[in-house]
Amino acid sequence: MDFQGIHDRLVAIGAPGLLGVDLPRKPDPKNKKDKGRAGDAFALVDAHKLADFLEVCRDDDRLKFEQLVDLSATDPAKDAAELWINVQLLSLKFRHRLAIKCLLPKSAPSLPSTVRVYRASQWHERECAEMFGITFVGHPDPRNILLPDDWVGSPMRKDYEFPKEYHGISCE
Amino acid sequence: MNFFLEGIYQTVGEHLPMWLMMLIAAVTGIAVVLGMVSLIAMFSVWLERKVSGHIQCRYGPMYVGWHGWLQSIADGVKLLLKEDMIPRDADRVLFMLAPGLVLAAILGAFAAYPLTPGIWFGDIDLGVFMIIAFSSMTTIGVVMAGWASNSKWTIYGSMREAAQVVAYEIPLGVSLLVPVMVAGTFNLREASALQADWFGMKWFLFTNPFMLPAFVLFFVAALAETKRAPFDLPEAESELVAGFMTEYSGIRWSFFFMEEYAAMFLMSALGAVFFLGGFESPLTHFAGELFGKELVVLGASGAKELNFAAIPYHLVAAVTLIAKCFFGVFLMMWLRWTLPRVRIDQVMTMGYKYLTPLSLLCVLGAALWEAGKHALFAS
Amino acid sequence: MTRETQTTPAATTRVQRLGPGEVSVDIRTPDLEVNFGPQHPATHGVMRILMRADGELVTGAQPHLGYLHRCAEKIGENVEWLQYLPYTDRYDYLASMNNNLGYSLAVEALLGVEIPRRATLIRIICAELNRIGSHLVAFGTYGLDIGAFTPFLYTFREREWMMALFEKICGARLTYSYIRIGGLFNDAPPGWFEEVGRFCDVFEQKWQEYVDLLLVNQIYVKRTANIGIISREMALDFGLTGPMVRGSGIDWDLRRDMPYMCYDEIWRSGAFKIPVARGEMGALGDCWDRSWVRVMEMIESIKIVRWCLDNMVEGPVIADIPKTLKVPVGEAYVGIENPRGELGHYVVSDGGKVSIRTRVRGPSFCNLAVLEDILPGSLVGDAIAIIGSTDIVVGETDR
Repeated sequence: MDFQGIHDRLVAIGAPGLLGVDLPRKPDPKNKKDKGRAGDAFALVDAHKLADFLEVCRDDDRLKFEQLVDLSATDPAKDAAELWINVQLLSLKFRHRLAIKCLLPKSAPSLPSTVRVYRASQWHERECAEMFGITFVGHPDPRNILLPDDWVGSPMRKDYEFPKEYHGISCE
Repeated sequence: MNFFLEGIYQTVGEHLPMWLMMLIAAVTGIAVVLGMVSLIAMFSVWLERKVSGHIQCRYGPMYVGWHGWLQSIADGVKLLLKEDMIPRDADRVLFMLAPGLVLAAILGAFAAYPLTPGIWFGDIDLGVFMIIAFSSMTTIGVVMAGWASNSKWTIYGSMREAAQVVAYEIPLGVSLLVPVMVAGTFNLREASALQADWFGMKWFLFTNPFMLPAFVLFFVAALAETKRAPFDLPEAESELVAGFMTEYSGIRWSFFFMEEYAAMFLMSALGAVFFLGGFESPLTHFAGELFGKELVVLGASGAKELNFAAIPYHLVAAVTLIAKCFFGVFLMMWLRWTLPRVRIDQVMTMGYKYLTPLSLLCVLGAALWEAGKHALFAS
Repeated sequence: MTRETQTTPAATTRVQRLGPGEVSVDIRTPDLEVNFGPQHPATHGVMRILMRADGELVTGAQPHLGYLHRCAEKIGENVEWLQYLPYTDRYDYLASMNNNLGYSLAVEALLGVEIPRRATLIRIICAELNRIGSHLVAFGTYGLDIGAFTPFLYTFREREWMMALFEKICGARLTYSYIRIGGLFNDAPPGWFEEVGRFCDVFEQKWQEYVDLLLVNQIYVKRTANIGIISREMALDFGLTGPMVRGSGIDWDLRRDMPYMCYDEIWRSGAFKIPVARGEMGALGDCWDRSWVRVMEMIESIKIVRWCLDNMVEGPVIADIPKTLKVPVGEAYVGIENPRGELGHYVVSDGGKVSIRTRVRGPSFCNLAVLEDILPGSLVGDAIAIIGSTDIVVGETDR
């Protein structure tokens, strides 16, 4: 199924939290400033209903997204108000993918964990949590994964400042 | 060393007190055994590296001497000069004692090794028993090393070693009983002399249909006993880093290596003497015919005299046995560089469930065969 | 420095009265906590697994990562598009060509450039040769984990030739940066395709050697069959990809099912098959199945290389790409079939010279997550075999 078909199906079954779509578009020839957008089409989903949304995607007969390929976050800019959560789903049966994007306010970066739906997201969420300072509520093992346990700050945030020293080791 | 001591006794013996003779005997014995074990270990290390190299499409050591034959000496010097490290939390006394104990045990086992048909360290009637007993004593040293290192990997290694040696001691001893029963002696020298023939047809391997399975069982058990692949679990480098030797370095570490190669040599010697004719080969036979066999003969006056003319025969005999031993060592190396390692439960299963009953069956079969032969030909 | 005093919990004894004159005594010693790594011969780098073991039996395992974390994703946000390419070499350093390819394809998805056919074919040759090289290391070191040393050197013998081929085409042996955004760094040198053909001929014979020497060796089979079983459901749930998922009997390969470049053309011509494990030596999804898939994939890759050699065309090898690249606004996720599974690149551009986000979805990272579940219950020796069968590259788990 292509993206449009997947989206229609999601609307038809009333997938929880589906807010809309973000489609690539050609630059508007009338507006010089508009550069358009290249790349993939996304389904925009409410971050707080992400887990339920994924569950529907996994269990629906016509979608059958058996695998969560990737779950990561993006900090688009230093002064942006929101983080993005990007999820890639893959259906082996129907050979289609779905890219999901959630917007998460930087002021309250917290969303329910999706581990109960896909166990694959366990480590992805841990990485996301330490790198972007996002809290996944209900994660079974919320330790740091790549960073040391006592690391301060969220390195992948655009406003992250590199530490001057770490345990007495100068970093400059 | 009897020949050597006999020589001393012949020349100056009457003027020397008994205790001095004993001291000389002890010192020369220890010196020769120590030298022999070091030489065997050095040669075996070189051989291992060459064999593995050629199996693996490379040359092995090539730079130190012709085809790297001095490599082992260079390595020995390096090991001697290395810093001797003892972990902070180790049990210092046991840690230092363990390699010595391991080496001492294997040196003791060498006392029963016959150098030639007429020259020996000790002509021990229970030679087989002694070799097996002493070589299993090395296990104590290994367990000691593993415990004293105070590391979890070393404990794993030494526990595996203990379990493995206990499991394989039985098939090893029992499968050796088959030729011992045929020979009627535990003495290595006498067993070898029984197989004297010009074409090796009296080798114990061919005397009895149960000998071949017994030899295979013996070889497998010997592999496990000397912790060689595929039974190298105590030092399995991919699982336990280096097993019980993980914390050792320098010369102490090399003691474990010497022990391993000496044990391989000794096990091969047992196999060679009790299955493959010991000193006997066509060449030995003709050398014996040509030069005579007795080193000590009764002279015209009735006193003992040394017969130097027989020395070539003894040289040929010694070289024959050593060649057979190294053939066994080579087989072990060949297997090591070919086969993957078995798992600990598979090792145990194989030892207890297959090798032990099979070796007992071999003994039974060989005994019945011998009894039948005796009954048929005696009447 | 003060010496830490370790307190070891004592053994617990449980006495149970079964009946008159009958007592059951159960002495349980505390489980041993074994620190497996970060410097251990079988961790293939610097991974650390905290194992709890009851004697030889593993009762719990907890992987600790991050010892090789080099901030690859953060670097992606700080260097230009083309400058990031050498960093891609360094996550899965055994399959650098495939990493280059994955990143280039992701950026090209935003750029919308058309890649010359000759470049595409050479890309496929390089990617498949590198897949062979990577599987050779995986299979060889797996033998090493099991205790067979010699096959390791045999596989490295062929890998050496493969690296020499890459050295001829790009000058590097491990970190190639040969596949560029828009095409290739340069054309293949004269005689290179002929040598690749010779490599294929020789490799097919040598490949049989590995199968005979190790893959069907009785000890190897006994060691690897029926351990570390990953069921179908588990493989899907954990998001396993590549040989791990095919080892569990799932017929899935991105080269066929979501084709990129001209893999669909090759597939339609029937040049290659997708080996899927059938559980020949034991339960479906055990360690042997995974290693079988890898070994079989090598020979399929040879077929793909042959197809490309036969259909090679003349022409340019790089599209018209400016030196300082400005990528249009947009975001794209491109997943390709790496030797270890799906390597995904999610790139976001705001139209500038530097990316907003370069997300790398490393297959080793995802495949490793399954360890926590399949290690408990195995023996210590099996644990090594299971870790080896996941075929991780720590450079990629940590990035």
